[in-house]
Formats: sequence, structure tokens, C-alpha cells
Amino acid sequence: MRTARTTVLAAAAAALALLATGCSNSSNLTPGRLQASLGSTFANLYMLQQSEMGNPPVRTASLHSDASCQKGGTVTVPQEGSGVWLCEITYLPAGPQYPVIAKYNVDVQTDGCYAADGDGPASVNGSPTITGPGYKQIINPLSLIDGCFDTT
Amino acid sequence: MSLAADRWPAYAEREAAVRKPAGGTLVVWRVELMKLAGKILVRGMTVLAVIGPFMVVEFLNLQSATPGDTPFGQWVHTSGFAIPMTILGFGAQWILPAITAVVAGDIYSADDHFGTWKTILTRSRSRGELFAGKFLAAVTFAVFMLLLLTVTDLIAGLLPGREPVVGLGGQLVPAGHATWLVLASYLSDLPPLLGFTALAVLLSVASRNSVVGIGGTVAIAVLFQIVTLANMPEWGQQALLSTPFMAWHGFWTAPAFYGPFLWGLVTCGAWFAVCGLAAWLVFRRRTIGAAS
Repeated sequence: MRTARTTVLAAAAAALALLATGCSNSSNLTPGRLQASLGSTFANLYMLQQSEMGNPPVRTASLHSDASCQKGGTVTVPQEGSGVWLCEITYLPAGPQYPVIAKYNVDVQTDGCYAADGDGPASVNGSPTITGPGYKQIINPLSLIDGCFDTT
Repeated sequence: MSLAADRWPAYAEREAAVRKPAGGTLVVWRVELMKLAGKILVRGMTVLAVIGPFMVVEFLNLQSATPGDTPFGQWVHTSGFAIPMTILGFGAQWILPAITAVVAGDIYSADDHFGTWKTILTRSRSRGELFAGKFLAAVTFAVFMLLLLTVTDLIAGLLPGREPVVGLGGQLVPAGHATWLVLASYLSDLPPLLGFTALAVLLSVASRNSVVGIGGTVAIAVLFQIVTLANMPEWGQQALLSTPFMAWHGFWTAPAFYGPFLWGLVTCGAWFAVCGLAAWLVFRRRTIGAAS
């Protein structure tokens, strides 16, 4: 029984030490990792959206998608960690060569996974469904983006 | 009669070593498996693991809404591969620890409850063989349930359709590759599952109480799940036993990453070794049959 108690005590002490240092150390949930992941995930899903709508195929490279993320709130909010981030993805659609900006509210979890909720423009990511060939209603892949990045 | 902690087991272990080194453990293992197979709770969980996934699929088909707050959740009506992954993402962190705790948290303390330690320790099996055999039986059950759930979840998901699924990098994953990813994701939950098995064994041995063994393990699993929601340094996050349950996320991105999975192997190995060793030390030094 004494061994058990020692083990439990040691585990509790380790857990406490862990939590105590937790507040001071910096996080691996950085804007850089989030932006890289969201940018390339958006490009892949944009390609999927265009093909499901029956539009001419797009290459992800020619899209030049680039994400820029900021954590919401005041200017003093540290730009790292889990929570709600506001992201803007700039990309070049086929045809007119001027950039389009897609906005997302991104809920980042501590494990590096995120759910990006489309916040405009309405024609790109505002509607949960899109109209495919033959007026078929299908899920808009850009409306809600699930993605993950490496935090190790 | 009282079996002193030091004298009797040492004698029995010497005897066992002379006769058959590993055979005794296997005998205990077989007996424990037979006992498990006869338990209502174990049978019920096995049946539930077989029909449960199909009930989930039926439930999902009955409604048009999708479980959008879990990765893959929005694709459950589009691709069959999204269904096993939604179930895993939703339940792995608490269902799997609960499943293994039901057996591992009870397999030692049941003999305290029924007062049968004296009986089985006076058979021809040593304390070490008993401990190892019971431990092996708990591990066997955990592995069996995970493999069973892997198969039933995959089949339940694939009945509606084998369309390509959207991965966590926005890429379209074709059916063949998706099947492998589903299998790999489920199997990647084996290390943390065995970690929780060892933890439940430790609680069962140390507390001599199945309520603590089972309930304590589930409570710790839920506690870890809540703690992972807080912002912690990366090593703190990776040291928790419930984090590796989600390491499969990296398998589904483009390109895939395996850092959390490899960290998880180290973490789970450490938890497994520490809890298993602590349980054995407590069990070996225990005086059984003394007035409490």
C-alpha cells in the first residue's frame, strides 16, 4: 500500500509541476504553422469545389493561395495558442488576374486541429451547399474546413 | 491462515522456475480468459461492439444534420469512410479507456472482493505467474475489443458507400488508400489503450476495489481529456496518456505527419512500464490473508 501511495504522490507532483510550467512556456500553435496548413488545405478544397461545380480544372500551384491569421480580441492578445483566429486567404482565381480574399473564423484546438468557418465572400464560402451540374445540391467544401497541423 | 509477503512467494517462484518457466503464466491466462468469456458484462460489450456501429450509421441516416464539430463529421452522408473516423474522433478518448477499464480495473480486485486470493495462491501457480497471466488476459481483451471495433466500424461505414473522402489536408483520398488510413488510425490507438490498461491494473491492484479500478480509470481519462483543452507547452500535451488517441489526425493530412504518433509511442511505453511495474511491486509485497 505504501508503494502505491508513493506512486500516486509522485504522479500528482509531476502533474502539478507540469501545470505550473504550463502557463509560462510558449506554444507550438503558431500563426506560421496555421497559415501554412490552412493555405494549402484551402487550395486543395478550392480545386475540389471547382471540379464539383463542373468548372474547368484548376491547379493548386496557379492559385497562389496565401493565408494570414491573427488571433482575435485586443492587440495585447498573444499571437499563439488555441482559440479563435481570424484568417484571410488571398488567392488568384482563373480568369481575371486580380486577387480574391476569403475570410474564415478559425477555431484552433490544442492538438493542432482546427475548424475554419467561412465568413465571406458569400459566393465562395458563405453557403453550406453549392449547385453542381444538373442543379444538384452538394456540400460546399469551402464552407467548413477541417484541417490539422503538426505541433511537435 | 496468513501468507507472509516474503517467505511463501519466493519459495513458490523458485519451484516454478525449476519446473516450467513460462507455462504457468499461460495456464493462468487461459483460465482468466475463460472467466472473462463467461461474464455478462464482457459478453454484452462484445455484442454492443458488433451492433453499435450499425446503430450509429442508422441514426446518422435518419437525420439530415451532420455532426459538424468533429473532423470528418460533415462528410458522413457523402463518404462511408467518414463514418468510422467520426466515431473514432468523437469517442476514442473516453470510450476506449472505459472498455479496457471494465476488465483491467476488475481482474485483480475481483479476487479481493470474493476473498479468493488465498485459494488461488495455494494452487501450484506462483504470484508472478498469477500477476502476469491476469495482466496478459487484460491486455488480450483490450486488443480484441480494438480489433473488433476496427472491423465493425469499417464495415458499418462501407455499407452506405465507398466514395473517396476529403482528408484533413483538403485532398481527396481514394477508396483504397482511405481503407488503409482507417485501419492505421484505429491501430494507432492501441498504444494509449494499453497504457490505460496498465493504469487500470495499477488502480485495481493498489485499491483492491473494482469501483476504484474501473471508475478511477474512467475519471482519469475524462480528466486528461479536459486538461488537454488547456494551452500547455508541447511536452506537457504529449506526456498525457490521452493525447496519442488523436495522433491519427496526422495520417490524414497532405503531406502526412507522424510526430505526434512517435511521441505517443514513447509516452504510452513509459505509462505502460511505470504503471505495470508499480502494480507488480504492490502485488508482490502484499501480505494476503492477514487481518485487515
